[in-house]
Amino acid sequence: MKKNIAVLMGGRSLEREISLKSGHRVYGALKKLGYSVTKLDIDESIVDNLTSEKIDLAYIALHGKDGEDGTIQEILELLNIPYTGPGVYSNILSFDKIISKQILVSHNIPTPPFYFLNESSFMELGASKLLPLVTENLGLPLVVKPSAQGSALGVKIVKKQEDIPDAIISALGYSKKVIIEKFIYGTELAISIIGKDNPQILPVVEIVPEKDFFDFESRYSPGKTNYFVPARLPQSLTEKVKETAAHVHDVLKCSKLSRVDIILDKKEKIPYVLELNTSPGMTDTSLLPMAAEEAGISFEELVEKIIKLSLEDD
Amino acid sequence: MSKEIILDHWKHLYASRVALMFSSEIRDLLSLSARPDIISFAGGLPEVRALNYQKLERYIRRALKMDGDISLQYGSSDGYYPLKTKLAEVMKLENIDANEEDIVVTTGGQQALDLLAKIFINPGDHIIVESPGYTGALNSFKSYEPKIVSIPVDSNGIITSELEQKLKELENKNIQVKFIYVVPNFSNPSGYTLSLSRRKKMLSLAKKYNTLIIEDNPYGMLRFEGKPVPSIKELDIKSSNQNVVYISTLSKIFAPGFRIGWVAAPHPILEKLTLAVQSADLCTSSFSQRIAYEYFSDPCWKENVVDFIKIYSARRDIMIKTLEDHFPPGASWSKPEGGFFVWLKLPEFLDTKEILADAIRNKVAYVPGSGFYADNRGRNEARLAFCSENTESIEKGIKILSKIIKDKIKLYRSFK
Repeated sequence: MKKNIAVLMGGRSLEREISLKSGHRVYGALKKLGYSVTKLDIDESIVDNLTSEKIDLAYIALHGKDGEDGTIQEILELLNIPYTGPGVYSNILSFDKIISKQILVSHNIPTPPFYFLNESSFMELGASKLLPLVTENLGLPLVVKPSAQGSALGVKIVKKQEDIPDAIISALGYSKKVIIEKFIYGTELAISIIGKDNPQILPVVEIVPEKDFFDFESRYSPGKTNYFVPARLPQSLTEKVKETAAHVHDVLKCSKLSRVDIILDKKEKIPYVLELNTSPGMTDTSLLPMAAEEAGISFEELVEKIIKLSLEDD
Repeated sequence: MSKEIILDHWKHLYASRVALMFSSEIRDLLSLSARPDIISFAGGLPEVRALNYQKLERYIRRALKMDGDISLQYGSSDGYYPLKTKLAEVMKLENIDANEEDIVVTTGGQQALDLLAKIFINPGDHIIVESPGYTGALNSFKSYEPKIVSIPVDSNGIITSELEQKLKELENKNIQVKFIYVVPNFSNPSGYTLSLSRRKKMLSLAKKYNTLIIEDNPYGMLRFEGKPVPSIKELDIKSSNQNVVYISTLSKIFAPGFRIGWVAAPHPILEKLTLAVQSADLCTSSFSQRIAYEYFSDPCWKENVVDFIKIYSARRDIMIKTLEDHFPPGASWSKPEGGFFVWLKLPEFLDTKEILADAIRNKVAYVPGSGFYADNRGRNEARLAFCSENTESIEKGIKILSKIIKDKIKLYRSFK
């Protein structure tokens, strides 16, 4: 008998719309695959909805808050419902970029040099006086981003010292902590990893946005960004990038699924890790399905693969 | 071998105007305002729950029983004649002397804007809009690729001295302005009402520079207090001019779900407009028009407008009072005598787009100001709709917003 699968989507996150797009697409694929599927939007009735009928598996198509910070995973653990993607611990580590970057540093994995400051340090401890020092140490331009937010929401590239406060105020609208990071000139790459014991590293996707960087508009407007798969890199660099991604996947205790975002430094060819996503997008313009396609895995096959990995836990 | 992934195979075929349409962070954030746990000051959604649904059911049944063959059939492109008689009556209540022949029915006021843009604007033509102005109109106009000239508003509406100067400037360059667009009563988004003297001035300017005024009046009947100001159309008719194209809608005095708007204009313009309706959608929904006819044939509709006014004015009162009690110094807002919207101005260093994410995380939504300008101004401004939430939610939402803004000011000052 085909399994009963609930696609968890929407929710309270600022990435709700993207999640709905991912969720609807996954739902369609599961229907085609012949599963019994229901869509569940995440709200105050989610626990009731998850317990009202037997669910064999929850497909997490949520992005951002609740879906990628360990919240929904913990609820599903309590309800003993298997779910897709990495577990609670990995989500907690990856969602807060400050924690994940600290872990990367402790494992000698390159990540752009950074400082983090929280809202109260500005409001109560006079941290704004440190900004010239931050610039002195990291140089300009800088990337200012919220510590816990996806889809590049609240991220700004700052080229002038006097624009830093506005960028910080903007980022603090998304999260109470802000990361100020050295801007790395180079090629943006996304490496998707799928599997458990010997995970498969999918072909590297190279991202070439029309704009300065891969912002929200570039991500979700077809035609605003060019993608190359596999990335236009020599074999040795491709291997180096893949190795780095696999290492990140391991140290952040990921299993089953992740997408690691890397920027390959133009001069030194160092693969700097930007972040790891535990619930990669599944929309028409998303990077994981793109990489899978290149590996000969159709969207339906990808969804089936993700599901089977999680059902094996049973 | 590396290959480029083509996400959209038809990129080479799109019209150039499609470049103006793209995913926006703000649009995605605002879509969250539809969630029931969010107090939304974002959309101007009329309080349709105040309508008598049982009566509506009766009207619908009657439309089918008595006139099914008309209600379910294509209708004439200029509109269902009996409804047009009712729309003329609605206009008479606002002292506009128009009859059925002066009216074309459209699918909402929005289609009227689009079709008027279609029949008047060639790419590169100049049009004038009040600024801030209604986003829906700006977007409709933009897709016909005009040069949009923005004239600022103050608490008396569009500043006619600036309008005059601009018209003069353009005339000196031999540029014909195609039309001037205003929402004169309780404007969307500013809430301001155009003063009588400025209405008269606008009309004389339109005459002098041989151009049209598009007077968009969705909110005129929703006046909570004060004396109604004659519409520009009324002034136009009384002075035997033909410079005003008047748009209105049943969305605010009945329900937006029926999608009924109308245009009253000089007959040659109506002829072009009728052809434009024909090519756009043949006719406005016959079924909707037939039901609207029933609704406006029952004198009770006027009582419903009184009910709407009571509801909206109580909501405006609580919004203004809570703003006065809680908002920090340096913030100011319009105090509309009707309509749906309050226009908020924050200290210049604040960016309402940047505050929106924080507001939505705290379950309050509004529309940042810059979308109401054709020239990217309005970064410290925002539109607050008081029409859609009940008084308790309005009070709660404004208090939340006030706290966020106070915190932002404190944060901003920490950088000084």
